Amino acid sequence: MTIVLGFEGSANKIGVGIVQDGKVLSNPRRTYITPPGQGFMPSDTARHHRSCILDVLKEALEEANVQPKDIDCVAYTKGPGMGAPLLSVAIVARTVAQLWRKPLLGVNHCIGHIEMGRLITGAKNPTVLYVSGGNTQVIAYSEHRYRIFGETIDIAVGNCLDRFARVLKISNDPSPGYNIEQMAKKGKKFVELPYTVKGMDVSFSGILSYTEDVAHKMLSSGECTPEDLCFSLQETLFSMLVETTERAMAHCGSQEVLIVGGVGCNLRLQEMMEIMCKERGAKLFATDERFCIDNGAMIAQAGWEMFRSGQITSLQDSWITQRYRTDEVEVTWRD
Amino acid sequence: MTARDPLQFRLQVPFPCSREAQIAHDTLSPDAEPRKGGVCKTLSVTDNVLHVHWRADEARILRVSVSSFLEHLSLVVQTMDRFGPALPDS
Repeated sequence: MTIVLGFEGSANKIGVGIVQDGKVLSNPRRTYITPPGQGFMPSDTARHHRSCILDVLKEALEEANVQPKDIDCVAYTKGPGMGAPLLSVAIVARTVAQLWRKPLLGVNHCIGHIEMGRLITGAKNPTVLYVSGGNTQVIAYSEHRYRIFGETIDIAVGNCLDRFARVLKISNDPSPGYNIEQMAKKGKKFVELPYTVKGMDVSFSGILSYTEDVAHKMLSSGECTPEDLCFSLQETLFSMLVETTERAMAHCGSQEVLIVGGVGCNLRLQEMMEIMCKERGAKLFATDERFCIDNGAMIAQAGWEMFRSGQITSLQDSWITQRYRTDEVEVTWRD
Repeated sequence: MTARDPLQFRLQVPFPCSREAQIAHDTLSPDAEPRKGGVCKTLSVTDNVLHVHWRADEARILRVSVSSFLEHLSLVVQTMDRFGPALPDS
């Protein structure tokens, strides 16, 4: 029996989760929500995390009914992400690990998403589409690495959605992407936007600046509604993602797709991916917002796998890093 | 200012016991200051006291480093208050 405590705070969510042998015992989370039109800044986000991380930790322990002495390992996000929030969370993880005399484990955030997705859905060896506010990657496992087959060459798909929401002053509560998704359902007219797939890679910055340029003109002239723009943006972005995912599947001969990351809980993205999967006789695996969106249990789960395969992180090596690619991690827990 | 000597700042933080001072030291040490940031910080522990020593080229940079260190120190102390006391040597 192995119990791992996981801390996540690389962006605007702070989460603490406890996982015991494939079972999520608790997974509380708080989100730093900014006013419409504003993004979250590193120092404000770090302040938010510092102000509530100890309450979230207490909640996680109580809900799981776990005592510190029952914990085998303390996992935390080493990176990638925003420096100040990562550091604030790592500081609490290091402190409790020492107070309770537990080993520490620095986890790659992207690996956390993948392992959580595999645990929840039971996907065996999927082609992974990892889509969030900070990352966009198409990943497949081979020879002890999660290899990146395609990725964004500029901003993440979630960042494109978030910043588009700021242009239209769409609410950030519960998340800009969720509100865009709801508005898109009422969209009727498809507005053509730049479609930028470059081989296996995608680009979103041009689509964003194009929409930033034309949105207000088109809206004030009555050419289209905000709902039409939400709809058109989603259709364009998600088509690009489905196209590259399909190409990676063809390359690997894969019959499984797993969608992870915050944008992964978008039902329209799941629906479009499902259509592609059906056509290929493949199976789609996806999770809901509890596990797609950043959370502590995903770090605990990746930590559980790493710890069981014999990894730990010494205190002096427990520095955080804003850049940490998915394929830098040696996957010691898979064949 | 004509002097080329760096600015220096010394901080001493007493803890209830040496183990807590060591925990704070080991928690706050791993993340180095940016290499070309114009500030250098060293931490050490004697008995129950955490010592921090800064050297910086500019007051502006020194202030940022010291103030963020104090934020982090305060988080360590709060964590100890709520989730301590530290387990003794086994």
